[in-house]
Amino acid sequence: MSAVVDLPPTRPASGAQRPGFFRRLFADYGQELVVLAAVVALFIVVTMVNPRFISANNLTTIFSGNAYIAVAAIGMAMVIITGHIDVSVGALIGVLATISGTLAVAGYPIWIAWLAPVLVGMAVNACIGGLVAYARIPSIVVTLGALSIMRGGLISVTGGTWITNLPPSFLIAQKSVLGLPVPLVVMVVLTVLAALWMRYSAFGRSLYAIGGNAEAALATGIPVERRTVAVFVIHGAFAGLATILFATQLQVIQSTVPPNLELTVITAAVIGGVSILGGSGTVIGSTLATILFATIGSALIFVNVSAYWLRAVIGLLILATVLADMLRRRGRI
Amino acid sequence: MHKIVLSALLALSFSTSLSHAQSAAWTGGDDLPTNPLACDATPATVAAKPYDGGSPTNAPDRKGKTLKVVDVPKLVGIGYFNATSKGIADAAKEIGTMDAKTDGPSKANIDDQITLIDNYITSGVDGILFAANDPVAIAPVLKKALAAGINVVGYDANSTPDARQWFVNQAEFNGIAKAMVDSMAKETGEDGAFAIVTSTFTTPNQARWIAEMAAYQAKCHPKMKWLETVEAQEDNILSFNQTNTLLNKYGDELKGVFGMTSVATPAAADAVTQANKCGKVAVVGLATPNAMKPYVAADCVKSVVLWNPVDLGYAAAHVLRAVADGTLAPGATSVKAGKLGDLSVINGSEILLGAPTVFTKDNINNFDF
Amino acid sequence: MNWKSLLRHETFLALLLVVVLIVLSFQSDRFFTVSNLLNQGRLMTEIGLIAIAMTFVIATGGIDLSVGSILGLTAILTGVFWQNIGMPLPLAAIAAIAVGTLAGFANGAIITRFNVPPLIATLATLALYRGLAEGISQARSVRGYPDWFYVLGQGEVLGVPTQLWILAAAAIIASIILAYTRWGRTVYAIGSNEVASRFSGLSVEKTKLALYTASGFAAAVAGVIFVSRVSTTRSDMGTGIELDAITAVVLGGTSIFGGRGTIAGTMIGLCLIQALKNGLSLAGVKGDGTIMLIGAVLILAILASNLFERSGTR
Repeated sequence: MSAVVDLPPTRPASGAQRPGFFRRLFADYGQELVVLAAVVALFIVVTMVNPRFISANNLTTIFSGNAYIAVAAIGMAMVIITGHIDVSVGALIGVLATISGTLAVAGYPIWIAWLAPVLVGMAVNACIGGLVAYARIPSIVVTLGALSIMRGGLISVTGGTWITNLPPSFLIAQKSVLGLPVPLVVMVVLTVLAALWMRYSAFGRSLYAIGGNAEAALATGIPVERRTVAVFVIHGAFAGLATILFATQLQVIQSTVPPNLELTVITAAVIGGVSILGGSGTVIGSTLATILFATIGSALIFVNVSAYWLRAVIGLLILATVLADMLRRRGRI
Repeated sequence: MHKIVLSALLALSFSTSLSHAQSAAWTGGDDLPTNPLACDATPATVAAKPYDGGSPTNAPDRKGKTLKVVDVPKLVGIGYFNATSKGIADAAKEIGTMDAKTDGPSKANIDDQITLIDNYITSGVDGILFAANDPVAIAPVLKKALAAGINVVGYDANSTPDARQWFVNQAEFNGIAKAMVDSMAKETGEDGAFAIVTSTFTTPNQARWIAEMAAYQAKCHPKMKWLETVEAQEDNILSFNQTNTLLNKYGDELKGVFGMTSVATPAAADAVTQANKCGKVAVVGLATPNAMKPYVAADCVKSVVLWNPVDLGYAAAHVLRAVADGTLAPGATSVKAGKLGDLSVINGSEILLGAPTVFTKDNINNFDF
Repeated sequence: MNWKSLLRHETFLALLLVVVLIVLSFQSDRFFTVSNLLNQGRLMTEIGLIAIAMTFVIATGGIDLSVGSILGLTAILTGVFWQNIGMPLPLAAIAAIAVGTLAGFANGAIITRFNVPPLIATLATLALYRGLAEGISQARSVRGYPDWFYVLGQGEVLGVPTQLWILAAAAIIASIILAYTRWGRTVYAIGSNEVASRFSGLSVEKTKLALYTASGFAAAVAGVIFVSRVSTTRSDMGTGIELDAITAVVLGGTSIFGGRGTIAGTMIGLCLIQALKNGLSLAGVKGDGTIMLIGAVLILAILASNLFERSGTR
C-alpha cells in the first residue's frame, strides 16, 4: 500500500485529452463503486426472497436508523485521510448525548440542546488535535487515552442514570422533511457537502497532501499543524451532529457509551475506501459503507440466516468487499 | 483468493456440522432442563432441598460489627443496576452497621468483573454482593473470597451454588416466563405470532428465560407462534433498528414483540410507536418502569414485567447482614429482610424475593426507578 | 542514536513505575505484598502474551485488531473439540491453538498477498472470527473441565502462578529475538522503511506473515489460559482485549508508525497499567476513576517522553 498513494486527480485542464467518463469514474471512485455494487446486489437478491425488504418502511430503517453512524464516519474519514485515527469517537458521542439530553430536560431552549454537542465536540477534539499536532503524540495514543477518560468520566458523573422525559420538540430524528426522515436528509446533505468540499476546496485537497506525505506538504507551504487541529475540530463537529441524530431517535437516552461504536465508525470509514495509511479515499465511500452494513444486518434477518451465524456472515461479507477492492486495484496497476 | 474463500467455506461447513441439532428449541434459549409452571395460578410445589451453598473459611465473628461491603453488579451505568445499588444503599443506611459501595465493570465483561472482585478480596472487605456475568466463570474468584473468610451473597444473576453462600432470587425463571407469555397471550390472542429481542445469546439469565418461555408456551399456549429471536447487545438504537426490521419483515403477521432486557423493551416500544402500530403489535417485556412510562401512558404498552430491583438490592443487603450475624444459617427456611418482612428460602440456598410484578397503566406511576 | 532514545523512554517509564509502586504501597498496606503482586501477574498474563506479539506487529508499522476474536474462537474451540467431538482435552487445546494460529496466518496472508492494510484486514477478521466463535458455540458454554486443566490458569508452580512462567518465558524469548537476531532487525527495518527494506533484499512478506501468525498463536495460547482461569468458555471472551494490549504496547514506547519499540518497554507498560488498576482499587478508587487515570497516564507519559527526547536531541 505504501507505494501507492492515489490522490484524486485534479480537474484536467480544458482541451487536454480527457479519458472516458466511466473510466475516470472507476479510477476515482473504484472502492465506492465496489461498495455500491455490493449494496445493489444485496437489495436485488433479498428482494427476490422477500419483497417486503424494499418496502418504504424497511428502506427507512436501513437508511435512517444508521444515519448517525454515517455522519460520524464522515468526520472519521477526514481524520483518516489526513493520516490519523480516532478511537474515542464512540465515547465522545456518549458524552455529548448526555450533555444534549440533560440540557433539553433541564428546560433550556431546544436549539441550545442541539448546538451544545456540536460545540463541545469541537472543543474536545481541539484538545485532541492540539496534542496530536503540536505535542506530536500519535493520534492513536491520544485517542486511546481520551477514550478511557471519557468512558470512565461519563459513568462517574452520571452514575448511569438514563435521561427520560425528553421534550417532544427535541426529538428531531423522529421528524420528517418533505416526507423523508430527517436523519436520511441530514446524512445525504452532509455527505454531499463534505464530498464537494474535500474535492474542490484548497483546504480539502491539502488534507490529502498531508495524509500522503506530511513533510512534503509542509515543504509546499501547507500549515500542517494548523490543518491537523482543524480536521480534528471538524471531526468533532460531525460527532456532535451525529450525536443529535443518535440522541433524538428514541424517547430515552442511555447514559453509557454505545458498545463498540468507535469500531463500527472506523470500519465504515475504512471499508468505504479510505486507506488507513492516509492520503486517499472519499467521504462518499464511508457513507456507502454504513449503508452496506445496515443493509447486510437487515438482509440477514430477512433471508433467515441463523442468528447465531449472523456475525460470521457479516465478517465474511466485509472481508469479501475488501478483497474485491484489492483485486480491482491490482488489476489497475 | 480462492484459497481463502475455500478455507473460510471449509471452516463454516465444518463448524455447522458441529453445531448440535436444535429443531424444536427457540433460538437464544439454553439447553438446561425446563420446569414450566401450571397454566392456571396453581403455585408450584417445590421439593425441599438441603443447603447447597458454600461457607466461608474461618470467618471472624462479625455479629453486630460494622461490615465493609462491596457490591459488584454485572455492569455499571444502566438503570437496572442503579436501582439495585440504590436498594443496597437504602438498606445499609437503615441497618446502620453496614458500609456499602457499588463498583462494577463499565462493560458486561466477565474478565473485568473477576479482576474487580479479586482486588476487593485483597483489600479486605467483610462482604461481597454480586450479580454474575457468568455463573461458572465467576466461581473461582468467589471461592477465593469464601476461603478468605468473606461473606458472599449473590443477587439477580447466580453463580454455581457452592461458590457463594446465598442467592437472592428476584423471581424464578419459570415465574417470569409464565408472566411474560400469559401477558402476551392476553394481548395477541391464543394464536398470535411473536418475535423476541434479546441482548446476546450468551447472557445466561436471558437464555434461561427464553428456554422457560418456550416450554411454558408449548404447554399452555400451544397455538402461539414463535417467529425468531434477534440479538441487539445492550444497545438501544440497535434494539430499535432490529425491532423495526422485524416489523418490516413480518408485516401484519407479527402480533407481538418480547423485550428481554431493560434496554431492549423501551426501544422495541419506541419502534412500534414510531411505526404507528400501537394496538396492532403488542410489546411485552422486562423493563424498569421509568423508561416505560411514556409508552404505557400512550397505551402502546399494556404490561411490563419486572420485580422491583430496589427491593432486590435491599433484600440482598439484609441477607448479607443476617449471614454475617449468623441469624441466617444453613437449614433456615426464611429470613427477615427489613420492611419486606420474611422472605422464604427455596432450592436449598436461594431466597425468593417474590412473584414478579406486572406493571400496568394503573400502577406504573407508583414506582420510581 | 535510535538506541539512546529507546532507552530514554524505558528508563523514564521504569522510574514512573517505581514511583507509582511506592505511592500505591503507601495508600494501602495490602498492595505491595508478594501474594498480591503474584496474583496481579496471573491477571495480566493473557493481555501480556498478546501485547508481546503485538509489539512485533506494531514495530513493523502494522496492527492486529483481531486478537480478541481469535482468543474467543480458540476458547470456544477448546470446549467444542473436547466436549462435542470427544477429543482428549490436551489434544483439543492443541487443536484449538492450531486453529487460532491458522487464523493469524490467514490475517498475514490477506495482508501480504492482497496488500490489504493491516488495520482493514484485521478489522474484517475481527468481525469474522468473533462471528465464527458465536456460530460454532451456538451461544452454549462448555463447562466442567477436569481438575488438572485448571493448573494452567488457577494453579501454581514453585509458588508462582503457572501462567506467569509462560509469560516470563515468552517475554525473555521475544526480547532476545527482537534485540539480538537478524530477524528482529528485519522487523525494525520494515517498520522504519518498508520499501527500502524490500529493495535491500529483506524478506518483508515472509517476516510479516510470520508475525501475524505468531500474533494469532499468542492470542490462541492466551485463549486456552483464559478458559483454564475462568473454567468455562463463552463466545464473547476477549472482547476489547486488543485495545488493552495496544495501550500497553504504545505506553511501552513502541512507535505506532513502526521502527522502534522493545519488549522490555511493553512489559513495563503492562505492569504500570496493572499496578494502577489494582493499587487504585485497593486505595478505594472506583473502577471508572481508574480507567480515567489510566487514560491520562497514557497521554502524559508519551507527552513527557516526547518532550524529554526533544530537549535531549536538540
